[in-house]
Amino acid sequence: MTAHLTFLDVTKRFGAVEVLATPFNLSIARNEFMVFLGPSGCGKTTLMRMIGGLDTPTTGQILLDGVPAGRPDWRRGMVFQSYSSFPWLTVAENVAFGMRYRNDLSESEKLARCDHYLDLVGLYEFSDAYPNQVSGGMRQRVAIARTLAAGSGVLLMDEPFGALDAQRREQLQIELRRIQRRDAKTIVFVTHDVEEAVFLADRVIVFSKRPARVVAEIDVRSRLGENRTLEMRDGVEFFALRNEVLGLVRASAAEEP
Amino acid sequence: MTALIAVAASCLLLLLWEAVARLSLTNPLFFPAPSAVVLAMGHMFADQHLAWNAWVSILRVWTAFLLAASMAIPIGILMSGYRAIGAALEPVIDFIRYLPVPALVPLSIIWFGVGEEAKIFLLWLGTFFQLVLLVADGMSRVPQEYIEIAYTVGAKPRQVLKDVAFRAMLPDLVDNLRVTLGWCWTYLIIAEIVAADSGLGFVIWTARRYMKTPEVMAGVVLIGIIGLVTDQLLRALHRHAFRYL
Repeated sequence: MTAHLTFLDVTKRFGAVEVLATPFNLSIARNEFMVFLGPSGCGKTTLMRMIGGLDTPTTGQILLDGVPAGRPDWRRGMVFQSYSSFPWLTVAENVAFGMRYRNDLSESEKLARCDHYLDLVGLYEFSDAYPNQVSGGMRQRVAIARTLAAGSGVLLMDEPFGALDAQRREQLQIELRRIQRRDAKTIVFVTHDVEEAVFLADRVIVFSKRPARVVAEIDVRSRLGENRTLEMRDGVEFFALRNEVLGLVRASAAEEP
Repeated sequence: MTALIAVAASCLLLLLWEAVARLSLTNPLFFPAPSAVVLAMGHMFADQHLAWNAWVSILRVWTAFLLAASMAIPIGILMSGYRAIGAALEPVIDFIRYLPVPALVPLSIIWFGVGEEAKIFLLWLGTFFQLVLLVADGMSRVPQEYIEIAYTVGAKPRQVLKDVAFRAMLPDLVDNLRVTLGWCWTYLIIAEIVAADSGLGFVIWTARRYMKTPEVMAGVVLIGIIGLVTDQLLRALHRHAFRYL
């Protein structure tokens, strides 16, 4: 398997604040669902933003398909927790915005892709609604569809379901996992929710408090397989792994002042 | 329902005013009845070119306002986009912003005489410096997420500015323009009282000289009506253009 994303000895500081002191190395495979798990403000978001080119490493390099990732472009799409879609554009226009600056696609191709992804996330009938007229869960689907329509191979998701109620959250997790398998996307997903991390991930990296340090790396795929369902979520294996990861997170939180 | 209450309350106030005046509880020289004001306005329209004077004032307000807005919008955007430009301009703008416009009337007359330029300058002075900061502030309050979404679908900085940042602040901008337009009227009347031979301020001041209180009030009321209508039109435009809010 070729690495889709590679961190090479990456460190990061903002002025005097060390976000990532020890050089960070990681390879993320194509079509891998990677979750960064850690306390709020630990620096995991910064790591993810550096993949998108929204922040730059202080030292080290980030490679996309073996080449320095550089400035932001459509190959790496972002889904934020809030302000994830533009309120002045309709649902369909928001999805189409992902392709707005792609001159390699014809207008008819853009239209077809827009319809396709609206349908995929179940928003076709809401095409003409404005984001403020639909639920928070639907707004996150709009953002996901936008990155898919853009053609991003890498989806960067910053606690995208953090503001949703438990039921919508679960539903979107299952859908995201399904889309990721189906469309062969590489996802880097940031969360502080252990259950969410274990349910979604192929691999979880647990980070300490700032300055971020890798506490553990858990290969979820070898334990839970690829198929994630509600039944599995109620099962013994999931429960055991969730507790194991929770234990790591707690131990990490306790060991520092 | 609220509109009904608003109209009813205004009517009640007018009736009360009329009653107080009719019962000769006040000296009409100070406090003429609404009916007298309406009559005065009628003959001012018929014999004293009130409509033309109103038109002159409206034209002055809009000329200065559009001039100020067309300068403040690009400069405000530049100020928020480039920290150096913001740092250079902000102290100057803040200083001028706090100067009371009437204090600058003598200076504007020295520079521009008593012609149209002096009035436009005064109105521009009163609005440009406020507006430019409002624009810069509006731009800097655009959520960073919007900007970053645009970059991660491949937008260039100029496209981000035009398609996202400007678009995101537009509802705020239109609101700010509406409020600023109101200030223009305040400065206009000052300018027209000090040095003018036309416009509503001139009409009011001339009527005062002959103690024609109904005419003074008619002029004031007409300004109020123009303001109310303009404001409601701009609000309707806002509602229509930004239905998504």
